[in-house]
This record gives sequence, structure tokens and C-alpha cells, in this order.
Amino acid sequence: MRLYAVGVSHRTAPVELRECIDFARQGMDRALSALAERGLGRELVVLSTCNRTEIYAVTDAEGPESLFGRFMSEYHGLGYDVVSPHLFVHRGADAARHLFRVAAGLDSLVVGEPQILGQVKDAYATANDLKHTGALTNRLFHSAFAVGKRVRAETGLGEGAVSVSYAAVSLAKKIFGDLKGLGVLILGAGEMAKLTGVHLQAQQVKQLAIASRTLAAAETLARHLNGRAVPWASLPDALSAADIVITATGATEPVLTRARIEDVMRPRRSRPLFVIDIAVPRDVEANAGDLDQVFLYNIDDLQGIVKENMARRAGELDRADAIVAEEVERFAAWMHSREIIPTVVALRQRFEAIRQSELARLEPKLSGLPPEARARIDEITHLLVEKLLLTPTEQLKAVSDETMVVTYTDALNRLFSLADDRGKAERGGRRNHEEAPGQKVSS
Amino acid sequence: MVSWLPFLFYLGAAILYFTHFARRDRRAGRLATGLLAGGVLAHTFLIGMQTVEAGHAPLVGTTAAVSAFVWLLGLSYLYVELTTDERAMGVFVSAILAGLAVLPAFSPDLEPRPPLLQSPLFTIHVLTMLFAYASFALAFVLGVTYVLLFKEIKAKQLGFFYARLPSLQTLDVMNGRAITVGWIFLTVGVAVGGIWATQIHASTDPHARAMSVADPKILVALLCWAMYSFALVARRAIGWSGRRAAWLSTIGFVIVLLNFVPVGYFLTRSHNF
Repeated sequence: MRLYAVGVSHRTAPVELRECIDFARQGMDRALSALAERGLGRELVVLSTCNRTEIYAVTDAEGPESLFGRFMSEYHGLGYDVVSPHLFVHRGADAARHLFRVAAGLDSLVVGEPQILGQVKDAYATANDLKHTGALTNRLFHSAFAVGKRVRAETGLGEGAVSVSYAAVSLAKKIFGDLKGLGVLILGAGEMAKLTGVHLQAQQVKQLAIASRTLAAAETLARHLNGRAVPWASLPDALSAADIVITATGATEPVLTRARIEDVMRPRRSRPLFVIDIAVPRDVEANAGDLDQVFLYNIDDLQGIVKENMARRAGELDRADAIVAEEVERFAAWMHSREIIPTVVALRQRFEAIRQSELARLEPKLSGLPPEARARIDEITHLLVEKLLLTPTEQLKAVSDETMVVTYTDALNRLFSLADDRGKAERGGRRNHEEAPGQKVSS
Repeated sequence: MVSWLPFLFYLGAAILYFTHFARRDRRAGRLATGLLAGGVLAHTFLIGMQTVEAGHAPLVGTTAAVSAFVWLLGLSYLYVELTTDERAMGVFVSAILAGLAVLPAFSPDLEPRPPLLQSPLFTIHVLTMLFAYASFALAFVLGVTYVLLFKEIKAKQLGFFYARLPSLQTLDVMNGRAITVGWIFLTVGVAVGGIWATQIHASTDPHARAMSVADPKILVALLCWAMYSFALVARRAIGWSGRRAAWLSTIGFVIVLLNFVPVGYFLTRSHNF
């Protein structure tokens, strides 16, 4: 009975291999039931995203590493030797640590990205709906969700744009608040212009105007973006109607001079103008940024912001790791306290067996007593056993350290020769694991 | 002891708002709002007790007026925070609250009400003026934060304030609202004050005799009114929003504060009750 995390991720496997190992393609239900059919896990959750495919399992199968590896390769029609060098395996608390890091976005390609937590939640929900989860996975995944939330709330790991287009949009939001109802003007009809346009359109801006030296090119892009093409000659009008201007032309000389922007700024009064110059060489004269109410950012500025945000995120890693460590410790304590349960059950059964056999041995002497007195004796002996076991049971349940669990189990096994009762105890323990989802066993 | 209670609450709120702002600790933020609400509640209780004790609203003298101002500012800020769900201004507002609440905490004894002030017009005048000042205090905080954020974005040094403040647009709109509300109350307050001054003109009280435009308190109040009227007109007619409006509301509030405390305590001869 142990917790395992086995799989491939962007850290261990190249994209070509990750593309092949994708349980989601044929349906998660199929993958989960295939795993269950092979007896690979009493509890199972499969997480499959474009950057990782991971199986979380509670199993007592021998040598689960190769079993899961073989399953993964066979299921996807690959050779085991192709997959095995790229597999990672984590056991027990390390498996929990891995999942917590994944859920918090610490293991993601872009550190701190928020989507992964949702994907982990979906993976758990799917497994839960199909009744592949149990007490251990329930607790494990709910702890993982809590870790994800805590890292988000208590660190700056997910903060700050880490792509140029997102940095531009968040800047615009900081200036204008909501982008709905704003006018956007795009200069240029090339690939960069198109990309940025798509990004801004997603923000539901009111008006998207596209101007290019060749009107036909502007019209093509306008159709694509559901915007409006503007002839180059009426650029001043388009400029005064815009709140955000994006320049991405291939011109070698500045398209927007300071004088040109100054002209449109006067009638605008205090309405700010956000100019994003993503062209190389630059389309906007740099000193236009000195104008009051003009915010001018070029591609280098935006890349600088992205770089800073990346660095800041990296600076938050320690804090996030501390949260993960704290939660892993808590989870491990709970998990280990569960591991001692079979021993506790065995110990109790041992004592009960002694009581029963003593009662049976004394049966000839007791048979003469009236039924009330016999009931009394039964009750007293039962209470005696309970009293004797009360403190040891409590102490055992409080053991949370893995090595201590082993030490105590060993000691009890020898002191009370529990080994013979072990088989029975295991079955008793197993019943515990089939409790309703989410129910705690140890407390 | 009871007179210290609001101050202690405001101070606690200021410390927690600072923690919230500096470390972006949400729990500290929620706790700060709670403490501020507690402070306003304790303050309400205190003012209520004083009203019952004296038989009239405790508005006589600059200290009592400062206390009422703090109470109104706390109340209006709480309203703004709860309706906009924006806690970033709290650090500035609570600093003003804690700073000013020291004065009434130190001298909690109410001054007796001279017969001259036994008019409902006096109560209306003081309350409307104080509410106007509270609005201007909010506008001031919004203006200062606007300028701080504006400078960061303009200089392409996105940092401390960028991560903490709402958008420039939001700050500007809220600033405009605060000034409009403040101006309306200031106008009513000045008008009521004027009417009341003419009513008591025949009195032999030296205060009443000093009620003229030449008195520093009245002069500066009229200057304030002119200043905020200009800010209001400039925003609508010539588009002075954003940074210019922010500067106007900053200068305006500095005048308000000067008029309120130093002029109120040391210079005026008509308003030194």
C-alpha cells in the first residue's frame, strides 16, 4: 500500500515522446479502467496535459515503476525501452511533493502559470466520477488544490505578464481600466500587427482600425480581425479617434513623428494615448513619449518588463517551495499515521483473542454462576482490555514519522508476536481504505 | 479612556493597511477594514455619548471639529471601500485618520457652547463643511496615488504602485466624483455660514464682530471654494482631468488642512470657539 507518481513531463521527455503518450486522446475513462483492470492501483488519478502525463496511484503491486512504465508504453503502442529512460517515479511523500509542485505551477514550463491547477482539478474530478479515487487520493488532491491556492494568494509567483503581448494588454488596463469601449488603431498589416490585433480583439475593444500603406493589405487584415480598414491619408483622423495605437510597419523611417502626435494630442485634452511600437526599426519617434498624456512603449521596453517579471517570479520560488514543504509535511504526517493502523488493529485483535481464550479456559469454573454475573465478568474483562489499550492506541495514532512507524511496528510485532495476526490485520486495515471518499481514517 | 479608543482603532487600522499595502497580505487587509469599522463604531458611540451629555452635537472648538472630521472621513472611506471593493487607498486615508485622531484623544473635554452657537444653522454649517473636507481628503488621496502611478507608467518603471493601485482611469473617475460631492457640500456650508453670520451680526460677541471676509479662516475657506470650483469647471469645460485634476485636488486639500488646523487653532478670531 503505497502512493506513487509515475510519468513523463517536459522536464524528462522531449515533445515528440510526450505527444505520443497522451491518455486524453482515447478518453480518460478508458485509460483509468485499463489501469484498474490490470490491478495497477486501488486508487488512481491520471493527469494528462500537453506538458505532462502522470499517473497517481495507490497500489501494493510489486515493482510498480516498471509496471506503470510498461503500461504506458504498451497502451500507446511504444516500446518500453523507448519510454523508460524518460520516466520519473516518486514514492510516498515525494509523490505528494511532486503533485503539490505541479498544482502550484512550480513544475510548469512558464513558472507560476495558472491553468495547471484547473487541469489537476479536472483530472481528479474525472477519476472521482469514475470511482477510482479513495481516502488517500482524496486527501492528496484536496491538499494539492489548497497548495495551489495558497501559493497564488501568498506569493507573487503568478504575477506580472511574462509575454510581450500580455504585458501590453495589462499596461493598457492599468491606464484605461476596462478596455471595452476603447478605440484601437493598428499601423501595418504584417504578421506582428495581426498577432497583436487578435490579442486585443479578445479584450472586446470597441473599434479596431487598421491602416497600411497599401489599402488592400489593410482590408485583408481588417476582414480577418473584424475591424475597419483606414486609408493612409486619413491617418490623423484615425489617430485622434484612437486610445491605443500599435505600430508594426516595416518602414525604415519613423511613421509617427513627435509633431504628428502633438497635433492630435491638443484636441484630445487630457485623454491619454497609449502607443505601443513593436516595429524594428522603430515606427515612432522616441521623444514623442515626452508629451504629456502620451505613454510610449517600444518592443524593448515591453521585453524589459517581461524579463523583470520573470526575475520576480523566480524570486518568489523560495516562498512557494516553503509552502509546498509545509503542506507535504502535513500530508506525510497524516499518511504515515495511517500506515500504523494495521498494527493497531492487530494489537487490539491480539488482546481480544487473549481475553476470549482466557474466558474459554475458565468456562468450567464460570458455568456455575448466574447469567448476570457472567455478563458482568465479560463486561469487566472487556473494559480492562480497553483501558490497557487506550493510551498505546492514542500514542500509535499520533506517530507521524515514517521511520518511527517502522520502529513501532517492529517493536510491537516482536513484543506481542503480532506477525501471526498480520494477515487478519491487513484485511481489517483494508476495510478502512474503502471508506467513503474524503473520510479521515486516523482521527 | 473611551476618548482614546477611536484613535487606537485608527492606529491599528493604519498599521494593518500598511502591512496590506506593503506585503499585499489579504488577511491584513480584511483585518484593517474590520479595525477601521471598529474605530468608526467606537467613534460614533463616543460622539453619541457626548451629544447626550451636552444636549447638542459636539462641534464647538477646533478639537471637536477635528474629531467630527475624522469620523466623517472614516465613514465616507468605508463607504467607498465597500462599494468599490478597492482597498489600496486605505493606507493613505487611515494615516490621515490616525494622525488627526490624536488631537481629540489628547483633549477629550468638550468646550461649553457659547450662546452665540445655539442655532441649528451652526450645526448644519459645521457638518456640511466637515463632510466637504472629508470628500476633499479622499480626492487628495486619489490625486496623490494618481500622480504616483502616472509617473511609474510614464517612466516605464513598473513597480511598487503599479502592482498595488487600480487603473489611472479608475483613480481619475473617483477623484472627479469626490470633488463634485465635496464641492456641493462646501457650497451649502459656505452659504449657510454666510446666512448665519448675517443673522448674528447685531450681536456684541467679539466672534460675531470678527465675522468678515478679512478673517483668515473665512478668507481661506472662500479661496478653497474658488479653487474647487475651478477644478470642477476645468474638468468639464477644458478637459483638465487626469494629472492636472490630481494636482488641483492635492493643492486644494493642503489649503483645507492648513485652514483647518493651524488657522483654526492660532490665526482666526471669528472661528476660535
